[in-house]
Amino acid sequence: MKKSESAGDRMRRLLALMPWLRERPGVEIADAATHFGLTEEQLLDDLAVVFMVGLPPYSPDALVDVIIEDGKIWISYADFFRRPMRLTPGQGLALLAASEALLSVQGSDVDGSLARALEKLASSLDVTPEAGVEVRLGQADQGVLRELRDAAGSGQALEISYYSYGRDELTDRTILPWRVFADSGAWYVEAFCGTAGGARLFRVDRIGSLVPTDTKPDAGPDGGRRAGPEKAPDTWATVGAGFESSGSTVRLQLGPEAAWVSETYPCEVVSTFADGSTVIDIMVSARPWLERLLLRLGQSSSVIEGGGFGEPASLRTDAARRILARYER
Amino acid sequence: MSKVERLLNLTAVLLETRIPITADDLRELVEGYPPPGPSFNRAFERDKDDLRTLGIPLVVESVAHTDPPLLGYRIPPEQYYLPDPGLEQDELAALNLAALTIRLDDLGSGEALWKLGASAGAAEQSANGAVATIPSDENLGPIFSAITARHTVGFIYRGDSRRVEPWRLDFQRGRWYLTGFDLDRNAERNFRLNRIDGSVTVEAITATAERPANETRQARQAWEIGPDLVTEVQLLVDADRVAWARQQLGEAATSELNDDGDVIFTVPVVQVNAFFSFVIGFLDHAEILGPPQVRADFIDLLGDMA
Repeated sequence: MKKSESAGDRMRRLLALMPWLRERPGVEIADAATHFGLTEEQLLDDLAVVFMVGLPPYSPDALVDVIIEDGKIWISYADFFRRPMRLTPGQGLALLAASEALLSVQGSDVDGSLARALEKLASSLDVTPEAGVEVRLGQADQGVLRELRDAAGSGQALEISYYSYGRDELTDRTILPWRVFADSGAWYVEAFCGTAGGARLFRVDRIGSLVPTDTKPDAGPDGGRRAGPEKAPDTWATVGAGFESSGSTVRLQLGPEAAWVSETYPCEVVSTFADGSTVIDIMVSARPWLERLLLRLGQSSSVIEGGGFGEPASLRTDAARRILARYER
Repeated sequence: MSKVERLLNLTAVLLETRIPITADDLRELVEGYPPPGPSFNRAFERDKDDLRTLGIPLVVESVAHTDPPLLGYRIPPEQYYLPDPGLEQDELAALNLAALTIRLDDLGSGEALWKLGASAGAAEQSANGAVATIPSDENLGPIFSAITARHTVGFIYRGDSRRVEPWRLDFQRGRWYLTGFDLDRNAERNFRLNRIDGSVTVEAITATAERPANETRQARQAWEIGPDLVTEVQLLVDADRVAWARQQLGEAATSELNDDGDVIFTVPVVQVNAFFSFVIGFLDHAEILGPPQVRADFIDLLGDMA
């Protein structure tokens, strides 16, 4: 028995376990245990509970009957618990959303079985196509995504041109990808980067071109794998810069309408004022990233400490003038 | 007699009965309850809560031919049992794989799969193969249930009280959104779930507004959403930023290649301010060419900061 398991958790499982066993007379204990993710001992523990279940007057013929023989299980009981319980809204949603999300990834439903399953499930949950759930994992070129996943599966090295948004620079790199995933609205690839000589996280939508190469970077015996961050970093500043964020702290004064900044990026709110304006400390790894933020915030915000990226008073002004220079040609 | 046994027996009795059973009768029928009095009442209240938490549809009805009327309990089988969706083995396997690859925190897709008959064993084996994890929200379940039942929901949103006929839940840019008909504003509105204060309340008022057909199922960028008219904006992007621009702009934008590799994109823009914010992302590697008014507005925006 899992230690943290409550009566409710156990009850949930039993209500699914009983009808499942009843439909499969003589099923192997080992198979049933595997099916419900239990050890055989845990499964037998569960069955010990259902012996005592039944309907009034609880005469032997009104109780659940369990026979365990030669490593096999037979269960019989009257008509209650004949089918599992309905899906809760949360469970229905979880399955629909997972299926929707996977269908949006091209090449993940080759034989159409997922689309058929989704349709049946949606109709049994009373969801029509125009109402319900839609999941978009992130913008990414489906071809690039597929090639990255294939490479991660086969250990193929790739040459990519990568646009580092935070630094606003383009680099060519040789990478050995091992994991492709989506998080918080974007696709990422974890890879050993031969150019940087270490594990790196890249955003798939910033990979400009990609070609397979026979020149494998020397990643060591484990393919250079390292456990990535638990969650992909929310801040664009850290992506492509290695798993540990590095940079320096910038202190900003934000107007009331700029509250989204502290909701969007990891930062520390230093003080909050009555009118809703705040002072925050935010970790920034490169100047272009900071310039974009300041330009988007406009006049309602100001830099208090520039973190070594420039003079607080001129960071935004310089960036605005540089862009304007283009328009004066 | 363990608590699980008592709850199972209680559920079996309530599921099999056609007429509601009073609390007193249940105490007699189901083993393991204390004698009548405050401690029985407490135990019975807790059991009712437990059943409801499990999602078991416990209904309270008045017992026929009682005067004064007595309240009794039952579990309607048609509300309890999972209707068989008729999934073939390969379809079930595909669902199982989807739930393994796309994880929704806390929503219990694993348990849903047991109920449908898929194996949990495979789940443990490939738990590390998850391709995406989608954050959960306490209000997802209740809102989804209101969508399917066509009920309305009420909640506090940025300090205002709202009543909404919910239509759709969307997950995009890493967040959950609710789209529905705002009954007080008499118009379609979008809400970010993580900006809803506390829990939503579901009201069993049947929704009346006609749900719109789902016109677009393509990813929408912030500058494409809104009631305003579309302006076609020409954006020149430097050669080395073209690949990134193309990924962000998607299929809605058309493009024209210059000799030096620069590209002029024509982008349908509804919200010009949101588009300006996107263009700022290019810093000095892009230029709005037209229409003249949009270009002038962008120059003014920057001029104020220069």
